[in-house]
Amino acid sequence: MEMGRDLALLAPELTLAAAAMLMIVAEMFRAARLVLAIGLAGLAAATILTLPMLSVDATVFGGTYRIDLISGWAKLILLPGTALSLLLVRAEIAGRPREGSVQSLVVLVTLGALMLSGAGDMMVVVIGVVMTGLGSFALVAWPRDDAATEAAMKYLVFGAVTGSVMIYGLTFWFGGTGSTLFSELGQLQGQTLVTIAGLIAIIVGLGYKGSLVPFHFWAPDAYQGAPVSIAAYLSVITKAAAFFAFAQVLRDLPRDGGWPLALAVIAAATMTYGYLAALVQTNLVRLIAYSSVAQSGYFLMGVVALGASGFAVPGILVFAAAYVAMNLGAFAVVLLAGRDLGDLEGFGRTRPWLGAAMVVFLLSLTGIPPLFGFVGKFYLLSAAVEAGYLWLAIIGVLNSVLALGVYLRLMVPMYRTSSTEHPSEVGAVLTQGTVVVTVLATLLIGLAAGILPGP
Amino acid sequence: MPLLTIATFLPILAGLALMALPDRSTRTAHAVSIAATGAVFLITLAIWARGIVAGDFAQVEEIAWIPAIGAAYRLGVDGLSLPLVLLTSLLFFLSALYSARIGERAASYVVLMLMLETASLGTFMALDGLLFYVFFEVSLVGMYFMIAGWGYEERQRAALMFFLYTLLGSLPLLLAIIGLYLGSGTFDMRVWVEGTALGGLPAMLALIAMLVTFAVKIPAFPVHTWLPAAHVQAPTAGSVILAGVMLKFGTYGLVRFAYQMTPEAFAQAGQVILAFGVVSALYGAFAALAQSDLKKMIAYTSVNHMGYVVMGVAVAALATEPRIRTIALDGATLQMVSHGLVTGALFFLVGMLQDRAHTRGIGDFGGLLGRVPWLGWAFILSAFASLGLPGLAHFPAEFQIFLATLNGMPWGLIAILAIVITAALYLRAIAGVFLGEMNDKWAEMPDLDQREKLVILPLLVLTVLIGVAPGWLIDMIHTTMTGLGN
Repeated sequence: MEMGRDLALLAPELTLAAAAMLMIVAEMFRAARLVLAIGLAGLAAATILTLPMLSVDATVFGGTYRIDLISGWAKLILLPGTALSLLLVRAEIAGRPREGSVQSLVVLVTLGALMLSGAGDMMVVVIGVVMTGLGSFALVAWPRDDAATEAAMKYLVFGAVTGSVMIYGLTFWFGGTGSTLFSELGQLQGQTLVTIAGLIAIIVGLGYKGSLVPFHFWAPDAYQGAPVSIAAYLSVITKAAAFFAFAQVLRDLPRDGGWPLALAVIAAATMTYGYLAALVQTNLVRLIAYSSVAQSGYFLMGVVALGASGFAVPGILVFAAAYVAMNLGAFAVVLLAGRDLGDLEGFGRTRPWLGAAMVVFLLSLTGIPPLFGFVGKFYLLSAAVEAGYLWLAIIGVLNSVLALGVYLRLMVPMYRTSSTEHPSEVGAVLTQGTVVVTVLATLLIGLAAGILPGP
Repeated sequence: MPLLTIATFLPILAGLALMALPDRSTRTAHAVSIAATGAVFLITLAIWARGIVAGDFAQVEEIAWIPAIGAAYRLGVDGLSLPLVLLTSLLFFLSALYSARIGERAASYVVLMLMLETASLGTFMALDGLLFYVFFEVSLVGMYFMIAGWGYEERQRAALMFFLYTLLGSLPLLLAIIGLYLGSGTFDMRVWVEGTALGGLPAMLALIAMLVTFAVKIPAFPVHTWLPAAHVQAPTAGSVILAGVMLKFGTYGLVRFAYQMTPEAFAQAGQVILAFGVVSALYGAFAALAQSDLKKMIAYTSVNHMGYVVMGVAVAALATEPRIRTIALDGATLQMVSHGLVTGALFFLVGMLQDRAHTRGIGDFGGLLGRVPWLGWAFILSAFASLGLPGLAHFPAEFQIFLATLNGMPWGLIAILAIVITAALYLRAIAGVFLGEMNDKWAEMPDLDQREKLVILPLLVLTVLIGVAPGWLIDMIHTTMTGLGN
């Protein structure tokens, strides 16, 4: 009886898991197109199954996994985002060896991301981190060249160390509450040292996933070594999942432990460092990688305000949705234009529509209204102000100016006259389709923000 | 009929339609531009005919947008915004007429212009804090691309400076808007203008944030440095819109946001704000005196004229007598309109001069009045208006501001010195360009053609009309300002 209810609530996850298995089977027959079709169908089915469950607020398997506002919207954001990523993967590596394996791994990593987003228990977080981690290492290593191998190796070592630290630290919380459930964290009231030990564990483990400063070192190398489509995927899906997990974990933690202040400092450092580092990059993928690091700082503003502002959770969700759309879109344009900043010279003149789309993505990343990114940033800033972190909001606002400096470095050369050729590449149709979908989302959803979760 | 919404979005829809057209030739683009801006001008006249009401916003249009946070699509007009709306639609229409000679990427240019018009009208008519901010920022983006795409030699640098400066300037407003929202639970500006959303320290912090934003936009000394660079590099129509319309965002925001939403804090800071106004007025005049480039000179006189507006609003906050406060606000609002008309005309005329001579240095010309009488007399009339000659548009505005200053804060009258300086610099410019020895280089210079006369004449007529009989305009402004002054 109980089991039946739980399984019904888990329909989207189970559908996706089944799809992933079928994809692996199809890959055994080297049927790459079939793998893609199964993946897309599974993602679409899981998305549709999520829709009626948005208003559910329940837990399954003894409170260890949550079906709530966060995990519901996480599915609506991550599943379509994964589908678009699969299209980009197809566009970039169609016909190359083990294409189907990459597609299957992507879906499996997304399954891990869903685990993170719904985690109600320490062990689920650990499983989620491991699932997303192992799949990601393999995805980064896929090109089998030196750069990719080195990047994957760094990523793996970093992941192994932070993962171990996280598991070790979480044992303190288990000792303090006698339970692995996050819903019991309220019992830590007063046990400052234990709270801090577990908190450090969470910050290290999830901060690595979300590429927060100072756990971000792997990100630019991994993004640069991996195929562009995989960089796009990792930069949005696993990162957003990390912040959904943050929200699941910290919303039950008493605020008097001082963690909001610690996270606020990390948030300020992350956005400032990310944009400063992005200002000096010449490789387009690295530039966007560092800008993604900076965006993590904005995500963290919402985490800081958890429990103190009604804007915190909606802010994280809305910004995640915006971020997935605009960052995937920007990477899709990079896929078409080339990996170097110089490749953008004159791009806006020879390919006016794609150029305009890139401008929309970059302005949205800056946070210019009425684009989607602005709505997300607005919620996050409101959350920080309401939680009493006015200084953090001011730093966030000042960093928007730095952000503009970063993104203008892309926009200005796009409209210079140049002789650089911008030929249409193989698979361009799929990539352009992704650009169209993401640019429409970036342009229109911000105007229809009423449909999104609010405070 | 939701005329306000139609006026606001007709331009951008026309722009989108143009992008969808298979034929995006220069001719079609300009035809669409003139038709759309002309239609919008007529619609704003209809809005004017419908009238405003005392003590409240008129013709309010409202649709739910993000109900969860009390943000809605709300538009409305009152005696502060309606004159600026009319000014905006007129200047965009004339700019479209003037720009019809632009051949380089005309379709993109027109789309940007139309987007700017939507953003400008929306900024003045928005009654929702979030919506206001959206329009306010969109105008920045539009103007950035306008300067970067169609400006003169140093355009990239000027555009970048403009964008960074004004974005940095506008972000504090976002924090103030968040503060006002958290203090009132809604984004409805009709609630905010009651002035009770914030009090004490939060109100003062919000006021400081708003003052930073609007001081950059106005621009007031010492955050005016982006203005000369942006003006000199912007294309002519860009300069007209920048000076005529977008600087008014700053003064409009000063009244609507700073003065109305945090009245007590504003009164406490009144002396400081007045001092900034006086310094801006004097500094703008002296800096203009030092210029040899006509466009730069006019740009600096904007700093001077906007300084008077700041003075007027500060005096209104400081004065105790309602009558004085109303006079100060009437004068400040009228000054916004006069400046839009007169400076708009001056930038058009300098643009026309530059189209002919490809230079703007005062020393490069001489004796042009005989050669191009239309251009010359139009410039002389506009220059006289700009220096505040009685019978022309700036006089009734500045007279009211100084009258209120005399009654409220007499020390502020040292700003009158700036009028003398302005008179000197305009006379010097007129003498240098249009009088004296004729420079033979310009012996073949053609006078204004039909289209150019069509652009300039409405502005000159209005300049004289407001100077001689300002009643029709002041009455509209006064309807609202009596309420604000009490």
